Amino acid sequence: MSFTIAKSVDEALAAMAKGARPIAGGTDLVVGARHGKAALPTDLVAIDRLDELKSVTTTNDGVSIGALVTHHEIEMHPLLSTAYAGLADGSALVGSPSTRHIGTLGGNIMNASPAMDTGSPLAVMGAEVELRSQKGSRRVPIEELWTAPGKTIAAPDELCVAIHIPAPADRSNSAYVRLEYRRAMEIAVVGAAAFVALNEDGTIAALRVGLTAVSPKIFTGEFVAQIGKSVADAALVVERVSKEQAKPISDVRASDSYRRHTVGVMARRAVEAAARRAAGETIAIPVNRAIGIGAAS
Amino acid sequence: MTKSATATAPRFVRADGPDKVTGSGRYTADLAMTGVLAAKFRYAEVSHARITKLDVTAARAMPGVFAVLTADDVPDVRFGPMVQDRTLFARDIVRFEGEIVAAVAAIDADTAQRAADAIVVEYSPLPIVNDVTSALADGAPLIHEDWASYGAPSNMVRDRNDASFSSIAKGNVERGFAEADHIVRSHFESDGCHAAPIEPRAVVAQWEGNKVTIWTSTQVPFDARAGVCETLEMPNNRVRIIVPHLGGGFGGKCGFHYEAHVAALARAAKRPVRLVFSRREEFLAPDKRREGVVYDFETGVKADGTITARRVRLVIDNGAYTADAGFFSQLAAMHSLGPYKIPNALAEASLAYTNHQPSGSVRAPTAPQTCWALESHTDEIAKTIGMDPVAFRKLNAVDTGAEGPSGQVYGEIGTQRCIDAATAAVGYDKPLAEDEAIGVAIGWWPSFASPSGAYIKLDGDGSGQIITGAQECGTGAVMTLRQLAADELGMQPEDFELVYQDTSAAPYDMGATGSQTLFNNGRAVIAAASQIADQLRELAADKLEAAAADIVLAGGRAHVAGSPDRGVAITELAGIAAGGELLIGHGSGTPPPPPSTVGSTCVGDIGMSAWRAPQFSCHAVRLRLDRETGVVRVLHVSTAHDSGTIINLVGAQGQVQGGVMMGIGQALTEGTKYDDQGRQRNAALLEYKLQTCADAPAIDIHFVEINTPDAGPHGAKGLAEAPNVATAAAIANGIAKLVGSPVRNLPMTAERVWEAMQS
Amino acid sequence: MSTSFHLNVNGTDYPITVEQDRNLLSVIRGEIGLTGTKEGCDDCECGACMVLLDGQPVNSCSYLAVQAQGRAIATIEGVMVGDEMHPLQRNILDEGGVQCGFCTPGMILSAQALLARNTTPSEEEIRIGLSGNLCRCTGYTKIVAAVQRTAVELRK
Repeated sequence: MSFTIAKSVDEALAAMAKGARPIAGGTDLVVGARHGKAALPTDLVAIDRLDELKSVTTTNDGVSIGALVTHHEIEMHPLLSTAYAGLADGSALVGSPSTRHIGTLGGNIMNASPAMDTGSPLAVMGAEVELRSQKGSRRVPIEELWTAPGKTIAAPDELCVAIHIPAPADRSNSAYVRLEYRRAMEIAVVGAAAFVALNEDGTIAALRVGLTAVSPKIFTGEFVAQIGKSVADAALVVERVSKEQAKPISDVRASDSYRRHTVGVMARRAVEAAARRAAGETIAIPVNRAIGIGAAS
Repeated sequence: MTKSATATAPRFVRADGPDKVTGSGRYTADLAMTGVLAAKFRYAEVSHARITKLDVTAARAMPGVFAVLTADDVPDVRFGPMVQDRTLFARDIVRFEGEIVAAVAAIDADTAQRAADAIVVEYSPLPIVNDVTSALADGAPLIHEDWASYGAPSNMVRDRNDASFSSIAKGNVERGFAEADHIVRSHFESDGCHAAPIEPRAVVAQWEGNKVTIWTSTQVPFDARAGVCETLEMPNNRVRIIVPHLGGGFGGKCGFHYEAHVAALARAAKRPVRLVFSRREEFLAPDKRREGVVYDFETGVKADGTITARRVRLVIDNGAYTADAGFFSQLAAMHSLGPYKIPNALAEASLAYTNHQPSGSVRAPTAPQTCWALESHTDEIAKTIGMDPVAFRKLNAVDTGAEGPSGQVYGEIGTQRCIDAATAAVGYDKPLAEDEAIGVAIGWWPSFASPSGAYIKLDGDGSGQIITGAQECGTGAVMTLRQLAADELGMQPEDFELVYQDTSAAPYDMGATGSQTLFNNGRAVIAAASQIADQLRELAADKLEAAAADIVLAGGRAHVAGSPDRGVAITELAGIAAGGELLIGHGSGTPPPPPSTVGSTCVGDIGMSAWRAPQFSCHAVRLRLDRETGVVRVLHVSTAHDSGTIINLVGAQGQVQGGVMMGIGQALTEGTKYDDQGRQRNAALLEYKLQTCADAPAIDIHFVEINTPDAGPHGAKGLAEAPNVATAAAIANGIAKLVGSPVRNLPMTAERVWEAMQS
Repeated sequence: MSTSFHLNVNGTDYPITVEQDRNLLSVIRGEIGLTGTKEGCDDCECGACMVLLDGQPVNSCSYLAVQAQGRAIATIEGVMVGDEMHPLQRNILDEGGVQCGFCTPGMILSAQALLARNTTPSEEEIRIGLSGNLCRCTGYTKIVAAVQRTAVELRK
């Protein structure tokens, strides 16, 4: 067994090239090991001290989020919580306050759980993941990152270093909502993210929807046929299509039929919230606690 | 008189407070001692099977393993607080997944677990009884083939899988139904759920010679001791049970659990042994989860709303062993009739063995779920006759001088005042949003009388110690004993320290169960304090040359009545006493006599049909429903309680707030789910959802204080359980208004609410 | 295989040698011998194990001990200010927000972290900030009141 603390990305990559697994906050790894899901890797390289992976940088194309940016930082970030609101919605709902302080965006997406909260928002925003190894870097559209529950396309020696999101056009924004049985400490029963761009007349210019926890990987759809339609009409279509396309399972949290129904509702609400934000309205992060049944009373 | 939560509460200083906020207080899992070994259990992991092979040889041979025990290694004793249907280790047959087949003590927890896994056990499956209806069907597999040979009180009615049948009959229900203008029938089913205290239990046992000291996270140290003595065949005075700080119980840590297992391991290993439960074990193993119940109600009413008859049939899930659930049948029968004036009543209750985890007393056993079912039924009745549900309750609920469903006539009680206070506070008549509704429910709960003793001493410097067998599970009841002693002696609560939850130091107390600590031990403490008060008055009389009858104790002094300057400090008197007759008081609160019932007959009467100092409550809940998903949000809970005189307002408020949150969890997000093999599917806190701080609604608290005779100190009744009774029922009634009909399963999860809306 | 490192807990440095898969909670309670941090569950769901790591709230049951090296770890034993109770400790007692006390250390640490980053929390912010700490006894009302009172006190 070995445990090293990387002082630079290159050190981390070198350790990974020799077979070490990266650990950032470690929550998923440690909890998973305790429950016998997967033994703790014998060789670990801690990447939590790599300050170069902790920045949020605006670029000409959009924003680059270092893989070690925490959910709490995303939730509180002035740019991310306004222009990339769907991602902030997702981060604000992950786990508990302490998980949000220690858990990282990179950790969340590389864990590849079909119920992860940041997955569908990133997908509908057209995000790319930057994977780096000693051999070089590559960018992968985020939907191609996940191959199966718990599995990504990354090679064992590749480290997720950043998530790049293209700049949203004017009059566009995103939202993520999920079904919850209590107001905190939940895993998405079902969830949905929407990215909406509006024409000047308020009709749909672009519409993408991502569904969480109803299929082995995040499901995404581009609703080209809704271009030019009203938000209300488009939202209803999204609801119907989401119900049709979802492949939910029955488990201890919910039956497949309930999931199928509610993911449609979530998808419609995500579209409605994203559209309101696209039109310039502020809906506080996260939507779940700003409007509807989960709003503070 | 009603007191609202806005009334300024006098300061409640907890003696155990500093321990708890600084982390210096030790709970059982925090204890360490030289040479302590780690214990692990091997559980059945199947719900019903015959053991065909059990071989511990490999486990015993493992390095670092000091003891491996099975049924062959302990006395062949069948035990149980009511029905003796239980053994420490499985004998021949395992009857639920958490049954203990073997126990290991080893050098550390990992070694103990590997040894437990290395025990060879083979099973031949037996048919699994996974619900109460199948359990009582003709030809159902017997969970206990030898049920008839088990010891049990002669007044228990047992038959095959029915471990305890009880009925309450009054008047003539057929005649009552004949008089009715409407008959309303309802069916309800509640799932089991859990106490889920935040501290998983732990036990440490250490032998010295032929005596054993057991530190354990129990709510009932004397029951634990009795269990050890019975199963290990030892006398009471060689077993000492000590409870360090207890991290909550709610009934889950009542009863006799693993003290004997750990003591037996320690004796076999010749070293102290420590058992610490994981959260998963805390869900699966203890025989103290809240029982699931199936209900059928039938009520006849006149058009003007008066109840003419009520008939109920209910079946309680006993689980695999009877624990203390033996009295649940009669208790549930009472709850199913409810705090109502019912001239003709018949409630029949059975306690069915199944292959589930055993049921036992969890905070107001049988009450929250039975109140949920009955109060949902009550709103259905009101709707049938077009009557406002609150008006229906005001018409039919018992109040001062009324006769209850079992024939008990009540003295002064506060049911009507509770209904008025709670409905006013929630704003019952105010207009609501389209997706909001207000649900109301009334509940009740007995107080429990029990023998109980305490000593008090004042040392030579005047500092006091209260030595009591009472157990502090967190409510603050034991902490409040200081207040009672201080009031008797004219001293301050902080003048007293507490020695408690140690069976060798103090006399018997029933423990943190049945909301009885202040009710019974409080009277014992007052009696003990009054003995010392008499001694102090004699000493002061001597010193002040006055008559003892003229001495007043106040402000830390003893003075002659009417002449406060003619006095002497109590500390000085204590110094004098230290040279002669020591200041020692002992007290035993004499239990008040049980009330009588007239005009009802009971089969299987276990003394639960007449309630001492009954408590009454009304909860009114405003909630919101997300119609598209069935998710319910509780916004405002207004509570009103008649629990007699309130001795400790801060503590009482805490019980209401905690009880309400527990009730919301029961109503909406908790509940045990079983697979088709009788195993729990949600034995973890991620999937067994407790309410979080973010879920808590506004909670109003009103106490209708009635100084109740034949009750606790200063006219108090019990308190800790009652606040958990009516919340889920009130929530159900709010949901039913929005959905159009009751949700007939508890918990009323979002998916169940949504399904109710589809039909 | 064991690994050796130092952990700084409440300002004191402890040399530690443990298996690298040991979680921080078990080392705090075991080798370091501070039992105020509690174990309430086995799936990072109750918050009883909360400690602060460089001021951030962390569920120590799900954090590797070896990874905590080089960080300032704060447990409940370090909350007092000299011999005086921290206002959070005093207020949670005064308000009646302590019953069985098992959730209390974790609750105090979460509240401490909350107040460090937000000196004027709304009731909703307090409730969300404490939502990772389960309490079964109090119903949370008096705990929230204690945090509100402390926020006001600390601002003075």
